[in-house]
Amino acid sequence: MKPTKKDRLGMALFMTPALVLFVLFFIIPVGYVLVVSLFKWNGMTAATFVGMKNYVTIWKDPVFRRSVINNVLWALVASCVQVPLSVLMALILNRKPRGWKFFRTVYFFPQVISGVALAMLWSAMYNSEYGLINGILRAIGRGDLAINWLGTLNTALPALLIYWVFYIGYYMVIVMSDLSGVDKDFYEAAEIDGASKIQQAWFISLPMIKSSVLTCMTLAAVLGLRQFEQVYLLTNGGPANRTSTMVLYLYKQIQNTRYGPANAASVMLICVGVIVILGIRALFKLGRSSRN
Amino acid sequence: MTKRNETAYLNAGDAAKAGLGKVLKWILMLFFAFYTLFPLIWLIISSFKTNTELFGDPFSLPAVWQIGNYINAFKVSGLLKMMGNSVVIGGLSTVLNVLCASMLAYCISRFHFKGREAIFTFFAAGILVPLNALMVPYYVIISQIGLYNTRAGLILLYSAIGIPMSTFIIRGLMDSLSREIEEAAYIDGCGFFGRYFRIILPLSQNGIVTAATFQFLTCWNEFVFANLLTSSQNVRTIQLGIRYFTNQFSTDFVSMYAAIVISIVPSIIGYMIFQKQIVSGLTSGAVKG
Repeated sequence: MKPTKKDRLGMALFMTPALVLFVLFFIIPVGYVLVVSLFKWNGMTAATFVGMKNYVTIWKDPVFRRSVINNVLWALVASCVQVPLSVLMALILNRKPRGWKFFRTVYFFPQVISGVALAMLWSAMYNSEYGLINGILRAIGRGDLAINWLGTLNTALPALLIYWVFYIGYYMVIVMSDLSGVDKDFYEAAEIDGASKIQQAWFISLPMIKSSVLTCMTLAAVLGLRQFEQVYLLTNGGPANRTSTMVLYLYKQIQNTRYGPANAASVMLICVGVIVILGIRALFKLGRSSRN
Repeated sequence: MTKRNETAYLNAGDAAKAGLGKVLKWILMLFFAFYTLFPLIWLIISSFKTNTELFGDPFSLPAVWQIGNYINAFKVSGLLKMMGNSVVIGGLSTVLNVLCASMLAYCISRFHFKGREAIFTFFAAGILVPLNALMVPYYVIISQIGLYNTRAGLILLYSAIGIPMSTFIIRGLMDSLSREIEEAAYIDGCGFFGRYFRIILPLSQNGIVTAATFQFLTCWNEFVFANLLTSSQNVRTIQLGIRYFTNQFSTDFVSMYAAIVISIVPSIIGYMIFQKQIVSGLTSGAVKG
């Protein structure tokens, strides 16, 4: 509908609250981190302009570099292991085996339970004395393998990544909602031509859901880059900063009132996010055009 | 004769293959279900044990089911107060969020004006902003307007950061409503506000419930900003609560488990009731974005 004069007044009134909140909590903050990242500031004394120095400082900090590597690992594991597993389970549940609704509900549980509760749960699971994992190891007579999983240099990061990777509900549900739109006739035609279930999944379903798989991979990568809560609660970056992430690094800079470096880390995080999103999109486009 | 034998052989091979596939399929399905449920069940069972039992054998069932752990959790931690805070903060921010988002979505979806797609694209891009990266400015803004360590501060922040998602969901639904009803109302003299409150809002109920459910769940589970923007015990939300249980129950693990279980229960119940809305809320942004 074309707005009348009266409508225009109403529209101005209706759009203002959302616009004000958006400007206040999205536009200004992004501008803020961009600007403050160029200053030396501790929140108390006057800020001095230092140009790119904060970026150089954090880049020289081995903890920050380790954080970037860890974030890339999170992103890779999430998009290259977690998402394929989710797609596999979506293809299986899409065939509506007995009890599929129950399984779909259960797989989705970790999405509705808070990150804090999950972290507490796994901190209990990994606990070296009374945790379930070491309990299992002792029960099968391999008590010698029972270690402090989150406190040992070489196991801390894998321990964090592994428990996360098998929570597939979110991506699985996204893919399933895409799969439900695939025309059943395709499967029937393939069935008549003698294609097995696996062939049907590979040659019919997968090509049809390419865009939602792309979405999931993007989401997984982006969420991997933002990873904070679990690491903060389970290891707080330890042992020896081995599990630190970019957001955790940023958080620790805030605690030390080093706002310049903190905001430089924020800007890097935003930039890496944009690069990853555009990169994955470009990759898929490349794949599409080379096939045509 | 030979031909028939061959077919039979092939069929048997196929059957074996199909059988194997079926077994594999069920192994996978059960593995993931087990993986999700077992730790939760273990936590629930452990929360009914005594500490000695927990240390003794992590697998055993409690000899006597210790309801006392739950009473402890409520007594020691001020759990009720924190749940109340979470309900108030989540509830009010959901109302504010959905109101702002639906008013904006109404304008964008139902009227043609210059720049409406530009506005929408801007908002949609907001979904992709890594909010964790904005901790410093959020802290500064909330402190500057004098809302640090208040429930109002969290309500305002939560309402704001959920607006891109809610607008996205509600607009999607409003776009699907037909023009005719609205035009008829217009001819009957129904003004801008009348059409919003009497026609569009009731008709977009589904989208609004989805957005509201999603928003409330996100607030209920939010930890990072609650941790950043509050410092005193009486404004703490339930998530901060269970985080700090670790300190309060430093030796009393079973009561801590009870507290964690108590914090999970509302999420699970809410999920069971609003499953459709939660799933579509969590996926709609993804699928169309």
